[in-house]
Amino acid sequence: MRSRPLHAILSATLLVVGLAGCADAPAAEEKPVADGGHFPVEVTSCGFTSTLNAPPERAVTLNQGATEVVLALDLADRLVGTAYLDDEVPQKWRTAYESVPVLSEQYPSREALLKAAPDFAYASYGSAFDRKAVGSREELADSGIASYTSPFGCGEEGERPETTFESVWREVDAVADAFGVPERATALREAQQRQLEELAASAAGEGVDVFWYDSGEKSAFTGAGGGGPQLVLDAVGATNLFAHVEGGWADVSWEKVVESDPDVIVLADAAWSTAADKIAYLEGDPVLGQLRAVREQRYVTIPFSESTPGVRLVDGAVSVAEQLEALDQ
Amino acid sequence: MVTARQLTAPVVALLVLGVTMTVALGIGAVHVPVPDVLEVIARRLRLADPDVPLVDDQIVWQMRMPRVLGAAAVGAGLAVCGTVLQSLTRNDLADPYLLGISSGAAVGAVTVIVLGTGIGGLVGGAAVGAAAFLGALAALVLVLVLAAGPGGSLPPSRTVLAGVAVGQACAAYTSFLVMSQGDSQAARRMLDWTLGSVAGLRWQSSLGLTAVVLVATLVILGNARSLDAFAFGEASARSLGVDVTRLRWLLLAGSALLTAVLVANVGAIGFVGLVVPHMVRLVTGPTHRVLLPMAALVGATFLVAADTAARSVAGDTEIPIGVVTGLVGAPFFAWLLRRARSGRAGVAG
Repeated sequence: MRSRPLHAILSATLLVVGLAGCADAPAAEEKPVADGGHFPVEVTSCGFTSTLNAPPERAVTLNQGATEVVLALDLADRLVGTAYLDDEVPQKWRTAYESVPVLSEQYPSREALLKAAPDFAYASYGSAFDRKAVGSREELADSGIASYTSPFGCGEEGERPETTFESVWREVDAVADAFGVPERATALREAQQRQLEELAASAAGEGVDVFWYDSGEKSAFTGAGGGGPQLVLDAVGATNLFAHVEGGWADVSWEKVVESDPDVIVLADAAWSTAADKIAYLEGDPVLGQLRAVREQRYVTIPFSESTPGVRLVDGAVSVAEQLEALDQ
Repeated sequence: MVTARQLTAPVVALLVLGVTMTVALGIGAVHVPVPDVLEVIARRLRLADPDVPLVDDQIVWQMRMPRVLGAAAVGAGLAVCGTVLQSLTRNDLADPYLLGISSGAAVGAVTVIVLGTGIGGLVGGAAVGAAAFLGALAALVLVLVLAAGPGGSLPPSRTVLAGVAVGQACAAYTSFLVMSQGDSQAARRMLDWTLGSVAGLRWQSSLGLTAVVLVATLVILGNARSLDAFAFGEASARSLGVDVTRLRWLLLAGSALLTAVLVANVGAIGFVGLVVPHMVRLVTGPTHRVLLPMAALVGATFLVAADTAARSVAGDTEIPIGVVTGLVGAPFFAWLLRRARSGRAGVAG
């Protein structure tokens, strides 16, 4: 009994001495400054600034949107890993995509990320930098890893930009800057602007009332007035029947859909709710099956990933325009 | 003997239900004026032949009517099941999901939602409903096997505990599946399903639900006298000539089956089956011949009203009906507990 306090003090002292004797973690290697003049570059998003002393050579992308921005900038050779697809990478980037290892189906753990020895982590959503995923951006910075989150994916609503093509291009600008290839972002912006001008000129959706059917059966989860679907419909000159509803997407009552009598239904095709499933539901329902657009099968289908704000949004608009023109023939 | 008071209560309750359902038909996302609503109904019932626009008919008769009828059927069914289970187990906290029905159904539903598989050619909501029904049946069988004692007896306390055990195991599986396999949408859709909804019910399912609930209620009503005997305990029921074991199996399994049908169609809607029986007992007393039909009528009215609130108080979007029943149910339940504590009423029947 009497020896216990002494025991405790002794072992505590030993423990402290032992810990003090440990070496520090090995220092992160200082990167040589490769680029003359351009670097160091600071990238800021969601209220966090990362400094890059040199263009990333071992970048990791988390979420499909981020991966696609890097692929669109033709930077696959600078990637050492990708993670978390929602559906499929489009055909035009598939070869490049497959040349990069996939770290994880969803978010990798912090350890799995560190194992890839990245120098830059780029994610579409703030959730990538949760404690349960790869850890906070501060922690990554301590490990010498710079990071960037798509402004659309910021956790705080006030930090998110308005959903416009300009905001998409600004994100591409920032990423291209971080990689030291700003001219590629300019080229991408110009190419997409030209596509949008052509779409505006042909106005394939002129006078067409569209119901954007994302998912849902008990109620309709639809593209509202402030998201990717609205941008796509604006680009082709079509009218979104639920443009007056706030936000990017919203649940609306089927009563409203029946009342509004759409000319065309745009179906988002996603793994969790395929276009085929949605058509089956519409046609099998005694009331919705009577909708004019359903009876005449006036459907337009686009991949869900072409309806979210990102580099593929313009592809989505082009695809919708082509399908609308085909419907009229 | 049926007293005058016992007779007035059901008549009043029936009238209230009718009025509530009619009012509910006039409320929804799209504004349809009351005269138009009445014209649609009159035309469909062949009482008159007014000129009705197709869209009004679709909204009032083909979308709202089955939804209102379905809500009434589900509310009635849940209240009846709750009454039966509370009497059989002599447990105030018993509700229709007592035997692991909702957790079992969730296992089936979540598996389909997360893995995105169809069942025998069914896809989407239909597949989720079918899987939920199968899950509920599996959970029920498991609970009954665990609970059954020697000679096929079904002791109430063991039944309740078996339900808790199976429910916990199911919940663990559900959480695991959503967290480990689910995409970003799975958690949202899982929550959607768990909260329950009578939206999207069409005539076919509503008529089916109504028929099932009516038949089940009549069967249970046929055993009202035996249920009364149970209130005084198993021994006295036996001495009154009730075949305790047979009755318990019949009513437990029967009400669980009914609950499984309800859950497969509309998900799990809480509090109706728990609170309505207590509420009704306060008025009618514990005699099941009166208690059961009254519980059915009040449950139906409550759920129709809750659904109407769910789809009209928050503008264009709907709030889950489970949120409404909980918001109304929880304070009532708290009040009930206070009342029971001060010993003013024998709540437990």
